Amino acid sequence: MTVLVPITYKGGVYRHDIIIDLIDDLGGYIVQKHMIAQEVVLQSLVPKDDIELIRKISRPLAGVVYEAPLVGTEIAVVSPSLEIHHLPHTSCDVAEYLRSAGAKTNMIGLARGFGKRIANLNIEERDIINEHDCAVYMLGNFESCIEYKMPALRKGITVPIILTGRPPTEALQRIIDPPVDGSVGGIGRIGHRTKQQEGEIEHLDRLVEEVARVISQKREEVAKDPLSVNPARLMAVLDDAMEITKGSTHPTPIVVQIRALRVKLPYDTYADAIAAIEIENGVKIGDITQIFPSRMRDYILIRIRPFSETKILV
Amino acid sequence: MKGMEYFEVECVEPVGAETYAQIADDILSDLNLNQSIGRLHIYIDPETPLFLAVGVIKKMPGLVHIRDFASALGTEDGVVLDIGAETYLSPMLTILWDTYGRDLIIQPDRFTVKIMVPGLDPREIENLMVVDPSEGMFHDIIYALQWIAPEGFKVRRETIGEGHFSYVASENTLDEEETDMLLKEKFACVGVTV
Repeated sequence: MTVLVPITYKGGVYRHDIIIDLIDDLGGYIVQKHMIAQEVVLQSLVPKDDIELIRKISRPLAGVVYEAPLVGTEIAVVSPSLEIHHLPHTSCDVAEYLRSAGAKTNMIGLARGFGKRIANLNIEERDIINEHDCAVYMLGNFESCIEYKMPALRKGITVPIILTGRPPTEALQRIIDPPVDGSVGGIGRIGHRTKQQEGEIEHLDRLVEEVARVISQKREEVAKDPLSVNPARLMAVLDDAMEITKGSTHPTPIVVQIRALRVKLPYDTYADAIAAIEIENGVKIGDITQIFPSRMRDYILIRIRPFSETKILV
Repeated sequence: MKGMEYFEVECVEPVGAETYAQIADDILSDLNLNQSIGRLHIYIDPETPLFLAVGVIKKMPGLVHIRDFASALGTEDGVVLDIGAETYLSPMLTILWDTYGRDLIIQPDRFTVKIMVPGLDPREIENLMVVDPSEGMFHDIIYALQWIAPEGFKVRRETIGEGHFSYVASENTLDEEETDMLLKEKFACVGVTV
């Protein structure tokens, strides 16, 4: 089986269709395509051996190809609230930084995540966070406060958690019991945008590394019992059959996760139609996936079942 | 903090204290209050939890008169005001409307206002007070402290005295006696006896 690696292609609009066709011909998938003025950004999964070929072909078009470890993941950036105390600075900087590494981020401002004793997580928030590949918790500046409120905020969360706060990483690791999947210190509540490399942006770089580490662990776990279909391929099949991207105004109408897809269509109207779409050789989407209503608006969440359950690999 | 005689954040956690000093600096600069506050002492107890700030106002901004942003010229029909800066135009028009009535105040363009009352003394008009910026000052300071303080500290006690202010906030009930003692102690740090 070809190993697909996540990359980002950045280049001009002029003749970018060559790159799109090339990725398609090589058996890769374009997970997200952004057209920003004269620039095109393609978040893609491509065969590892062909990265050099894409680089070579994109050079005359002034395109740049670089590995983006978080392409094909959906990450929840959890902020204690959406008030001026926590937004826009740290939360937006973190979300933006993770997006530049290829992730699709959703910012989740908790209804009552602020304070110390009063902090809590409601059921809807818990379910929405659990629909992501991992959650980045953006907590504050005091060790004792983080230690006290963290058990309430992580209750019922089943996805990996990466905790950030102002105390140093070692302090965060010491106070959190049981340990979370990743911790990055030095990112707490601040009153300005992160501009300095030292003491600010370096922590964001460390956060991307930590998230990439957690995500690659999750990918390895999935590889032990492979999915019946690659999520990026399922996205391509679904989009071809229903032309979702063409008919939608969402920036990312289909979001690829490590073992699932989020489709931004109403569940009641489209769930059955999606289940009936044939992937190949009579295998339908409904045969190898579970289709749920998402807790996020009225979207559809398609969880891909592993090979061990379905005995089908397409 | 630049421009402040005394600024201290007191907290058992040094990292937290350092960060909150930066937050206070950023927010007070954003709101243009760092030149108005002379002394500021912030005390944070993350265990209780409690946020307390006491401070002294350095200088009160002066009153704004019409002469500060416009010049008046007497004519046969009344007085013509030549507006230099539009910042205070709105409160000035409100005062003129209330005094002379809307019919007699004409604004042919953005930078001209005519008061159609014959015999008015232009100097008298120029000396009219339009805005007292100190009125909004304490309101602005309390807003800034709400923003600096951790979110969710909804139990609040604010006091405003002669040139000094205090702000205490927590998510738990505030004990009156303890708070008074603490305020007295922290006010001493900024040189105020209460």
